[in-house]
Amino acid sequence: MNFAERMLHIDRRIIFLMIGLCTLIPLLYPVGLAIKVSPEVKSVYDYIEALPEGSVFLLSLDFDPASKPELYPQAVALLHHAFKKNLRVIGMTLWLPGTGMASEVVSRVAREEGKVSGKDYVFLGWSPGASSVIINMGQDLYKAFPTDYNNQPTTELPVLKGVQSLRDVAYVISLAAGSTGIETWYVFGKDKYKFELGGGCTGVIAPGLYPLLRSGQINGLIGGLRGAAEYEVLIGRKGNAVAGMDAQSATHFAIILLVILCNVFYLLTRTSKNRAEQSLR
Amino acid sequence: MTFLRRQLPLLITLVTGLLFAAQYYIPHPSSELMLTSVSKWLQIIGGFALILGVTSLFRIHAVKIRRKEPGWGYSFVLYAGMIGTIVIGLWHGGKETTDGITTTFGWIYTFMMVPLQGTMFAILAFFIASAAYRSFRARSREAAVLLIAAIIVMMGRVPLGEHLIPISGDITQWILNVLNASVRRAILIGVSLGAVALSLKIMFGVERAYLGGGKE
Amino acid sequence: MSFEVILGAWVATGLTLFILTFLYQDNPLFKLAEHLYVGVSVGYAIVKTYDTVVIRLIYEPMVMQGDWWLLIPLAIGALMLTRYVPKAAWMSRIAFAFVVGVGSGLAIPRVISSYILKQIEDTVRPLASLATDGSTTFTYSLLNPASNLNAIVLLIGVVSVLFYFFFSVEHTGPGKAVARTGIIFLMIAFGAAFGYTVMARMSLLIGRLTDLIEYAQPQYGRATWWLLAATIATLIVFHARRKGTEPPQ
Repeated sequence: MNFAERMLHIDRRIIFLMIGLCTLIPLLYPVGLAIKVSPEVKSVYDYIEALPEGSVFLLSLDFDPASKPELYPQAVALLHHAFKKNLRVIGMTLWLPGTGMASEVVSRVAREEGKVSGKDYVFLGWSPGASSVIINMGQDLYKAFPTDYNNQPTTELPVLKGVQSLRDVAYVISLAAGSTGIETWYVFGKDKYKFELGGGCTGVIAPGLYPLLRSGQINGLIGGLRGAAEYEVLIGRKGNAVAGMDAQSATHFAIILLVILCNVFYLLTRTSKNRAEQSLR
Repeated sequence: MTFLRRQLPLLITLVTGLLFAAQYYIPHPSSELMLTSVSKWLQIIGGFALILGVTSLFRIHAVKIRRKEPGWGYSFVLYAGMIGTIVIGLWHGGKETTDGITTTFGWIYTFMMVPLQGTMFAILAFFIASAAYRSFRARSREAAVLLIAAIIVMMGRVPLGEHLIPISGDITQWILNVLNASVRRAILIGVSLGAVALSLKIMFGVERAYLGGGKE
Repeated sequence: MSFEVILGAWVATGLTLFILTFLYQDNPLFKLAEHLYVGVSVGYAIVKTYDTVVIRLIYEPMVMQGDWWLLIPLAIGALMLTRYVPKAAWMSRIAFAFVVGVGSGLAIPRVISSYILKQIEDTVRPLASLATDGSTTFTYSLLNPASNLNAIVLLIGVVSVLFYFFFSVEHTGPGKAVARTGIIFLMIAFGAAFGYTVMARMSLLIGRLTDLIEYAQPQYGRATWWLLAATIATLIVFHARRKGTEPPQ
C-alpha cells in the first residue's frame, strides 16, 4: 500500500477530531466576518416591516429539538421583530416533540419585549393531524384550538379578537424541519385561505423549497443557521446564529479540504495503478 | 360478513374520497360545515394513530426483556425513561411550566430530551465529513459536476467563502434559484403526478395495501 | 443560579458526552443514552397526546360544551385499536378506509393546484418581456432569477429532467442529448443539496458545542470539564475490560 492509498484508508476518528476542532476553535475565538443578506431573507424582513401595527402574525414552529440549532435562532429573531413592530402574535406547532421548545421561545421573547400573554400574543400549542389542523384553522380557528396552551378559552382572548379563521391572519411563517411545515401550510392553507406565507427551514430541506419561492407560493425563505444569521443582522440583534457563522465557515472549508485531498489521493492511486498495469503489459 | 370485511372499507374510501375531492370545488356553506367537522374529527383520529405507533414500540421491547435478548437491560432503561416521564408529565398536567416556573416535566424535556435528540443528530456532522472524504470522488464527468457544484455552494453560503471569493455567493444564488429550482420543480411535478395517481388508485380500490392484514 | 438549572446542566452535559462517545466506538454509555432518549421521547409524546387529544379535543368540548358529535371520531379511533385483537382486527379497516379516503380526497385537488398547475404556470413563461412602450425586451441578467435568460434555463432544466425520468421513450438520438442535459442539471442540484446538508449538519454540531462551552463556565460548576474527564476515564475502563475478555490471537 503506497502513501496515497494509506491516506485514503486513514482512521475516520482523525477526521472526526479535525471536524470537532474546526467547530470548537472558532466558537472560542470568533473572528466576526461580515454576513451578506440574501434577497429571500430580506423579503421576509421587508414584509413584516411593512405590516401595520396590530396585524395578526402567525408563527408555526414546526420542528423538534433535533433542528433546534438551526431554527430556534430564526424563531428568536422573527419574534423579536414581530413584537417590536407591535404585531399580534400567534404561536403554535405542528410537531409534537417541539411543543415545549416552541412554548418556551414564544413566552421568553415576549417577556423580553414586555408583552402580555392573551393580550399581545398567544401560544396555541400542538394538535395532531397537521393538514387537518390547518384546514380546521382555516374553517374555524376556535374549533381547531378551543383553548390555548395555558387552557384559556381562545374565544375570550383579546389578542384573537376578530380572528375567526386563517383568512384573518396577515402573515404566516412556518419554521420547518421537514415536509410537515411550509409545504403543508401552502397546500392545505394558503391555497384556499389566501394569507401571505413565508418560510424558514433547515439547510437539508431548503433547496427543495426554491420552486415554491420562485413561483411566489412563499414570499421569502430563511434557510438554516446562515439564514438566521442574516435575519439577526437585519434586525440588528446579533445572537447565536451570527456567533456560529465563523465555525460554519471553518467546517465548510475543512470539508472542502477533505474533498480535495480525497480526490488528489484518488488520482494518485489511479495513476500508479495505470502505470503498474502498463509495465505488466 | 364478507361485505363488512371487504366491500364496506372500499366503499367508504370511494365515497369519502369523492366527497372531499368534490368539496374543494363546491365551497357551499353546508359543504364547508362538513369540512369543518371532519377536519376536527381527523385531529382526534390522528391522536389514535399515535397510540398505534407507541404500542408497537412497547411490544418490541417487552419481547426483548421476556426473551432476555442481548442488551435487554437497556430496554429496562427505555421503560424507566418512558414511565418516569409519563408519571411526572401527568402529575404536572402535561405542562412544562406553570406560572412561569419550570415543572419537573419541563426539566426532563429541557435537560434530557432536547440535548439527547440534538446530539443524536449532531453526530451526523462527523459522519458526513468522513463520508465526503471516503466517497466524494470525481470518478466520472457527472460526479465531477456534482463535486464542483457542492464546493461552490459550500463556499458561497459561509462568510469566509464570500470574503475570499466574493462571486461565490452570487453563483450559489444562481445555482439555487435557477438550476436547482428547475430540477426540484421537475421532481415536484413528477412526484405530485405520482401521488395523485396513487390517491386515485386507492379511491377506486385498485391499491389496497393500506387496509393491511387481519383475518378476512 | 438555581440548583435545578445547575443539576440540569450537569445532566444535559453528561448525556451529550455519552452520545458523543459513539464517535470513538459503540459502548454502553452510548447505548444507555440512546435508550433513555427513546424512552423519554415516547413518554413525552404520550403525555402530550393525552393532554391535547383526550383532554382538550375530546373531554372538554364533549363534557363541558356538549359536543356529542365527537363520539363519531372517538368510535373511528377506537376501531383503529382493534388491530390488536386478532378476531376483530378486520374492523380497523373501516377506520383506515375513512382516514385514507378523506385524506386522498382532500389531497388530490390541493396537490394538483399547488404542485402541478402552479409549478407549470411558473415554468411556461413568455421568453421575452413587453416593455412599457410596447417593444419587446430580453433581459440577460443571471443574478435576477426572473430574467428572460433564466426563464429559458429553467425551462430547459425542467423539461430535460422530466424527460430523463420518462422511460417510455428510448433515450437515443436527440433524446440522448436531452437526457444527458437532464443528468447535468440533476448533478448540479445534488451538489447543491450536498452543500446544504453539510451546512445543516455542521449547524447542529455548532449548537451542541455552544451548550457544552456554556456549561464549562464556573457558574455551572465547570460541568463539561468534570464530566469529560469522567467519560474518558469510563471509556478507558471499558476498553481495558474488553481487552481482558478478548480471546488471545
